[in-house]
Amino acid sequence: MRRLGYSLFVLIGLSIVVFIIARLVPGDPARAALGPRATQEAVDALRARLHLDKPIYVQYAYWLKSVLQGDFGESLFTRRPVIEDIKEFLPATLELAFFAGLFMTFFGLLLGVISARYANTWVDNVVRVLSYLGIATPAFVVAIVLLLVFGMYYEIFPTIGRLTPGMSYPPRITGLLTLDSLFTGNLASFWDALKHLILPGISLSLGGLFQEARITRSSMLENAKKDYVGAARAYGIPERVVFSKYLFKPSVIPTVSILGLDFASLIGNAFLVELLFNWPGISRYGINVMLRKDVEAIVAVVMVLGIVFTVVNIVVDLLVAYLDPRIRLVAREE
Amino acid sequence: MRGKWLVFCFALVFLAGSVAFAQSQKIVRFTEAWPTYLDPAVGNDFSSSVSLANLYDTLVFPTYDGEIVPHLATSWEVSEDHLTYTFHLRQGVKFHNGEELKAEDVVFSMERLLAIGQGYSYIFKPIIDKVEAVDDYTVRFTLKKPFGPFLYALVRLYVLNKDEVLAHAEKTGEYGEYGDYGMNWLLTHDAGSGPYMVKEMKMEEYLHAVRFPDYWKPFDANAPDEFKFIGTTETATVRTLVKKRELEISDFRQPAEFYDAVSKIEGIKVAKLFGGSTFYCMMHTQKPPTDDVHFRRALAYIVDYDAIANQIFPGARQAQGPVSFILPGHNPEVYQYKRNIEKAKEELAQSKYANELDKYPVDLVWCAEVPDEEKVALLIQSNASELGITVNVIKTPWMKIMEEVAKPETTANMYLIFVSPHYAEAGSMLQSKYHSSSAGTWEQTEWLQDKELDQMTEDAIATVNDEERFAKYRKIQDYVVDLCPSLFLIDQPENYAYQDAYIDWIPAERAEKGEKVNPVMGYNHYMPDIKVYPEKRDELLRK
Repeated sequence: MRRLGYSLFVLIGLSIVVFIIARLVPGDPARAALGPRATQEAVDALRARLHLDKPIYVQYAYWLKSVLQGDFGESLFTRRPVIEDIKEFLPATLELAFFAGLFMTFFGLLLGVISARYANTWVDNVVRVLSYLGIATPAFVVAIVLLLVFGMYYEIFPTIGRLTPGMSYPPRITGLLTLDSLFTGNLASFWDALKHLILPGISLSLGGLFQEARITRSSMLENAKKDYVGAARAYGIPERVVFSKYLFKPSVIPTVSILGLDFASLIGNAFLVELLFNWPGISRYGINVMLRKDVEAIVAVVMVLGIVFTVVNIVVDLLVAYLDPRIRLVAREE
Repeated sequence: MRGKWLVFCFALVFLAGSVAFAQSQKIVRFTEAWPTYLDPAVGNDFSSSVSLANLYDTLVFPTYDGEIVPHLATSWEVSEDHLTYTFHLRQGVKFHNGEELKAEDVVFSMERLLAIGQGYSYIFKPIIDKVEAVDDYTVRFTLKKPFGPFLYALVRLYVLNKDEVLAHAEKTGEYGEYGDYGMNWLLTHDAGSGPYMVKEMKMEEYLHAVRFPDYWKPFDANAPDEFKFIGTTETATVRTLVKKRELEISDFRQPAEFYDAVSKIEGIKVAKLFGGSTFYCMMHTQKPPTDDVHFRRALAYIVDYDAIANQIFPGARQAQGPVSFILPGHNPEVYQYKRNIEKAKEELAQSKYANELDKYPVDLVWCAEVPDEEKVALLIQSNASELGITVNVIKTPWMKIMEEVAKPETTANMYLIFVSPHYAEAGSMLQSKYHSSSAGTWEQTEWLQDKELDQMTEDAIATVNDEERFAKYRKIQDYVVDLCPSLFLIDQPENYAYQDAYIDWIPAERAEKGEKVNPVMGYNHYMPDIKVYPEKRDELLRK
């Protein structure tokens, strides 16, 4: 509960900062929205409707009042309530981030474990070199390489959008196409949506994946030297149990902590990947609204990303507490 | 063993999914920057203009030769005082929902456009007094003042289905009894009678439209059954789509390297279409030292136009005067400044600032969003230094440029800006570039306040006879070139990569032959004029 309280303050602070920055950027948002040739009457009417003709603190008060009523204002470019845009674009990014997150977690842990198991052998060296490369290469570079390789030379995976043209979207339930396709029993859509996730998902996840691999490896090697692991082996506990219960579980705690941050940053970092794969997600939308000085939408997108970041962090804290009894104990004592 | 079977089944289903949608369709796909607006009272940018041209009909239609021909209107009369235009409508034209298009729909479309005040309303607002339906098939426009290019302007009046729009209008809105005037619904739907109708509109992703089977004009057998406008201009994405034959026409916003690369792919060509856009270096005529005509002419003679047209913007051509050569009313005889150092020095010697150049450095602003402009700015800086003129190159975001040019005191000496005509005719450029009333907008940072020029422009625009009007335009162009308020740098082509192997695209063919293409923005993408041969595409894919 205390974390929730802190988070609320963080979000209010974030809203004030973003609100001010969005409005201090040079240029008239109303003129930008209606175009340089729109009549002055239309521009003035829009400025009045958005309260842009009022002092900034009054504008913030209007905005806060609307937000408390569930209204994030109107996008100047999509010309509809921002909340509609968020409902449309956020699930696409969440689906991509979940896919990338799963990929990142599974292969990150796997490579980490393999690397630790074969520490200081050629297997470990290969994983380490790959890790350095993967961490150092930005997601958009990976995206461009994958796009060119699989788009121009080996046309195995689709390269743009969420679904092949001509294929109809499944009825919207969650907004996540793979899930909605499964829920409605549309297997063709499910496979198609899954294939569309592969290239952007891999591009987005590689940096985090290798980071998880490195952390898991270090943590496992460190824990392997601990007395309790040696004692477990001395008691004759089977190696499989020693590995999973005494070595793997505690070694995964730092990885999980970083995973949370990585997952949240997947959403924030997705914009270039979304641009390249024409993925209609919230990150791409966010960058577009910033370029267009779409004031209401900018604030809403940053707030949504802030909320996602906060929620993920809380979930990670709970998960780490579950994995590490010492943290639960400290929390209870406090 | 069970695991292997699972992997096998997974791969099988995966591959089955891959081929399910591989059949060729008679489709044209093109990329362009988002957003696109389907509401004729809102959209006026390039992507919206392409969409509107295909989803809606207009009273008259622009041809590739720059002429205006009957379309929804089969004929028209103009009153003797040139203030009343009466149009007779084609009968039996159906909207996409099956209802018949009538005069009241035309009236509604104009009134709605003017009330909303966005989109192309800026063309009509100053000239339309009233519009009325005389009967179901006759509509009358009364103008506030004679306006010669009225027919040219009417290609921007897209006719909406009044009943359908009002049926979908939200009750709450800023337009009184009309609520929101159907603006929300028209974000993702159309209410037109054009050759194509919206099948699906995914915001920020694509617009998918299919042929309207009851269109009043017959389609060519090879005209596309559908078109898809994909909302991206990312180079890597566009290049991949072109290579995979999943894109028939690229957008024109790609770097030169893109066109070089794709033109080497079998069956792909690059078309250079001049759309009427001209690149100017606008000079502040009220601020020293660019307030001196000799100083401005000296700059006009020192600039290396060939380098701009051939190296910085390959495929462009040096502009001849203030009006693009493609626009009806352009003066092909107008004087063209060429780089000539001797003449530049002669002009500078006559300038009142000739002996104190060090006291008058010139600020040259380029738009931060258009990186190629920096090269032009640096070239002008270098050229000007040959005369001893100091040019400070300043990078400024577009939004800030719009703010600073609003007042003469905050406007810099020179700005590099592209300008396109409001309607496809010389009068549009002359009025928006050099009439006093446009000073303080991004289209006229020259702050020209020339009463004689204003009077000449107003007189020309009020002339209804095309020949007479164009003759007047030619004189105005001579006058402006002599005054030299801008450096007329280049006429800028729009470069498109297209699948020459399996589509016939008239503008590309015309451009290749050196003929003019449609000067009205959006109409070079008029889908009924494109022919698609899917079997040829299949052949290419099999190779």
